[in-house]
Parts: sequence; structure tokens; C-alpha cells
Amino acid sequence: MGAAQRTVNMRKTIGRRGPSGATIAAILVLVLFAGAVGFGVWYAQRSAESAPAPAGTVVGGIVVGDPAARHTIDVYLDFLCPVCRAYEVQSGATLDELVAEGTAKIVYHPIAILDRLSSTQYSTRAAAAAGCAADAGVYPQFAKLLFENQPPEGGPGLPDSRLVELARQAGAPDSIEQCVADGTYRGWVENSTDAASKAGVNGTPTVLVDGQRIPLTDQALRAAVQ
Amino acid sequence: MTRVLATLARLLLGGVWLWAGLAKVTDLDASVRAVRAYDLLPEAVVPIVGAALPLVEVLLALLLVAGIFVRPAAIASAVLMAAFVIGIASAWARGLRIDCGCFGSGGLLAADEEPQYGWELIRDGGLLLVALLLAWRPASRFALDGRLAGRAVEDERGRRAVGVGTE
Repeated sequence: MGAAQRTVNMRKTIGRRGPSGATIAAILVLVLFAGAVGFGVWYAQRSAESAPAPAGTVVGGIVVGDPAARHTIDVYLDFLCPVCRAYEVQSGATLDELVAEGTAKIVYHPIAILDRLSSTQYSTRAAAAAGCAADAGVYPQFAKLLFENQPPEGGPGLPDSRLVELARQAGAPDSIEQCVADGTYRGWVENSTDAASKAGVNGTPTVLVDGQRIPLTDQALRAAVQ
Repeated sequence: MTRVLATLARLLLGGVWLWAGLAKVTDLDASVRAVRAYDLLPEAVVPIVGAALPLVEVLLALLLVAGIFVRPAAIASAVLMAAFVIGIASAWARGLRIDCGCFGSGGLLAADEEPQYGWELIRDGGLLLVALLLAWRPASRFALDGRLAGRAVEDERGRRAVGVGTE
């Protein structure tokens, strides 16, 4: 191929490039990345919706027991978490006893960190239903039933109708069906999950006695409230 | 040969980004929590990083798989991987008990799980190496880069692969 032909080829190539191709793509890509970051900023600044909280709760927690009790036990749990169920089986009775004798009040924080492990956001739904049960004053009974009927991870979880059944069994009035169906306390669950993350809770169950994290044994629990 | 390896590197890295990005993009709150769990960034920045990161990962995946701006995408991938390696190593050094949150777990461990820092570091370190190699030799097969530039892409031996300059 001669030099002249080569020049023609180059002209053709340059002609085809114009103002274009790579430049436009580069701008497009930069805009997309800027958009991603912009979205992050928007997401961060989005005003935290003020969600209604169930009766008798403090920030992100359901208080059980005498508010003036000497010790405060914070329990962070996810109703889909098998270890949370195991903790309930192991130390549930101890916790009830501490409440009954007035030694401690318990602040239960039902949070939703395992939504990805069910196809229906069971963690969120169960915790929101627990909010409904707290409203009705039957949280402790309902939580026990939820753990007794805990669905396996990776499945659909319990349907709302079953949550309502369990709540009724726990002693809630019929009106709880509306609360569960409306997802009245979903926003509250979102906020408590966020609050837990900000408080440095990186897993469930997390148990704090007077603000100090304790190991998940019954001995540790008893020792902490001595 | 290098071009074949670069193609595989693009697909591997792009595939990992796609998996990581899609796993997180459906639950951005979990992504924010995962970032927060490292306890490294100021709270003002945490939600921005947590929400933007999955989108950035998906974008990088698309660029790498399609072969658009392979070198910049590989450099950006290397920077991100380096940040992840530092984050995980620091979490390990500080004795935190977290999951890396790389694939959407929200950074949280169940009480009966042990952290997998060693494996996570090996994986991300390996991917960092792949990204660096790709940034060094980005020319590969089935990439749109050449088409975009409207000219042939030179491979490592200086040959014109297609188009201009066939003698």
C-alpha cells in the first residue's frame, strides 16, 4: 500500500472520528459516575422519615419491666436469627426472672438485618408486627411465640396471616390484624435498625448490661447484674 | 496471549463487580450499615459511600465486561480494591468482628460465625493484582474500546489488530 493510500485511510478514519465516539462515551461515563455519587449524597441527606413508634418504647426499643429497675439490659435481636432463638431458649427464663424480681428492665430492640435471608423481608415484617404487639402490651408473649415458630433462613418466612394468628394467641386484640397488614411500624423498624448500627451493634443477638456488651452465656448475664 | 489473559481479567473483575454491586443495590440501608461497621469513615460520609458504592460497582462491571475505557476502569477497580484491603486489614487488626459486607450481607456476623478476614484479604488482594495487571496491559479481545476510538488498538507488540495500516 502506498503513502497516498495510507493518507486517504487516515483521513477516512479521522473523518469518522469527528468530535465524537470516545469523547461522548467518556462524558457519558463521567456523568453516570457523578450520578452515582450524587445519588449517594441525596440518599444520605434524605430526611429520616419520622415514623410512628409503638406505645411504651424508647428510641428503637421496647421496654419490659420496671423503668426504675437498677439495671438496664439491652437485647438486640432479629426474629429470623437462629442464634437469637438459641439465646431466648438459653436465657429467656433468666431474663424473665430478672424482670419479675425487679432487678432489671429489658429494652428489646427487634431489628431487621437479615432481610436478605428471606424472600419476603421477614425480619422487617416480624419486627414491625412485634411493634404492633408492643402497642397491645403483649410483646414478651409474642416474641416467645415468634421464636418458637421461627422459620428457617433462606425461605419465605411466616406469612402476615400467621403473624396475626400468633399475636392473637399472645393475647392481642383483633385490631392487631390492621396494624400488621398496614405495616404500621415498618418505618420504626427501619429507624431502630439504623440506630442499632450507629450504636455499634454489628450482629444479633447483642446483649448489653448497663451499656456494656456481655458474652452470650447465662453465667455472664447473671454475673453482670450482681 | 496477553490479550486473552486481559480478556479473562476483564470478565473476572467485571463479573465480581456485577455480583457485588447487584447483591448490595437492592438493600442500600444494609450497604450503609456495612460501611459503618468498619468504623473508619466519619458518620457524615458513611451513608454517601454506602449508597453510591453499589452503583459504582455496577458501572465498573458494565465498563469492564463491555470493554469500554478498560484502563481507567481497571485503575478505578484497583483503587477500590486497595481501599477494601486496607479496610479489612484494619478491621482485623482492631479485632472487630464483622463480615466484609462485600456481597451484601450488611457487614454483620451471626454470633456463631467467625470472621473470614484471611480469605477476604487473599481474595481482594488477588483481585487488586488482576486490576493492576489489566491497567498495565488493557488491550484485550471483544472490547468496544477500539470501536469507540474509531481506530485500531495496538497490542503489546505494536501490531495493528484491525483496520488502519494493513500493508
